[in-house]
Amino acid sequence: MPWLAALALVLAGAAGPAALAQTPEVEIQIREHLFFPAEVRIPANIKVKLIIRNLDTTPEEFESYELNREKVIVGNSQGVVFIGPLAPGEYPFFGEFNPRTAQGKVIVE
Amino acid sequence: MISAVIIVLREVLEGVLLMCMLMASSAAMGNRLRWLPVGLLLGVAGAYSYAVFLDPISMLFEGLGQEIISAVMLLSAALALVVYVHLIASRALRPASDKPSRAVLALCLLAAALSISREGAEVYLYVYAFGVQAGQMASIMSGAVIGTGIGLSFGTFFYYGLRALSRKACLWTCAGIATMTSAGLVMQATYNLEQADLLPGQQPLWDTSALVRESSLTGEMLQAAFGYEATPTAVQLSLYLASVLACLAAMALARLHATKRQETST
Repeated sequence: MPWLAALALVLAGAAGPAALAQTPEVEIQIREHLFFPAEVRIPANIKVKLIIRNLDTTPEEFESYELNREKVIVGNSQGVVFIGPLAPGEYPFFGEFNPRTAQGKVIVE
Repeated sequence: MISAVIIVLREVLEGVLLMCMLMASSAAMGNRLRWLPVGLLLGVAGAYSYAVFLDPISMLFEGLGQEIISAVMLLSAALALVVYVHLIASRALRPASDKPSRAVLALCLLAAALSISREGAEVYLYVYAFGVQAGQMASIMSGAVIGTGIGLSFGTFFYYGLRALSRKACLWTCAGIATMTSAGLVMQATYNLEQADLLPGQQPLWDTSALVRESSLTGEMLQAAFGYEATPTAVQLSLYLASVLACLAAMALARLHATKRQETST
């Protein structure tokens, strides 16, 4: 089936550059219902991989209206959230289960 | 307690519009609400399993399990609504009949169970962790009950509002709500796929957050109603419009069938 090989090549070509370019990773920790760091600085116009480690025993939901992100991270676990490419600006996020304390923002510059 | 009210109310409101639409339309199609108890039960069972197994689910697909499973649930519900819009439109174009339809029953069951599973899982996680485990049972539970109560009273009001309309008006309104809800679900699936890096993130086409902030009450209501997004990207907008078009096509198909039926009968 030559068309299948051709399709595989096209797919590999499409995935190639994305796989080759390093996606920067940023770690955010949740401790005592707070985000550390509460301010995350990332460059504009690139994709970034956020690794969110929840060191509490309780679950938390990482949520942001501005970033359109929403992910539950159970206690003593971690989750990956891809964001960007973003225009320069501030993008607040919060922990939905502790919205008063768990607040932070992504600063894109 | 106030945060518990808000957290639970937000989840309930997201599901209540869809549930009211399903209930009102299925009643207007002569199906009564026989699917409701089973749908609720399946939804609660789904929510419980999803919440309990969330950690292993999250670890699936190299840590993207939550996003992929959510996207599959959202897209299945959206697809069920497209088919449902076709059924509603077909019934609206025929004389009233009390003949129950298996397809209506099955689609209502599926859409209700999927919606309750997704919203319910978050409520369960929250109440379990911050009420049961943290020993705050009284304040979290009373907050959850108040939040659910407000959401359900809003739903009751809305359901009887829809039922007060004439049969045809009720069905067409429900078809419209189903179209908007389906597009909103597709929008949420898109966010999940972007979050998992399975769809590309893009710069937004426009920004209406100066008009209506997504985090405001109006923004939340608009988001629950039709998936309002202040900063949509080209990918998001195309998938949203594709889903609206699919529902409009489902209605057009129903009209085409109705016209053919009339031609053959005359």
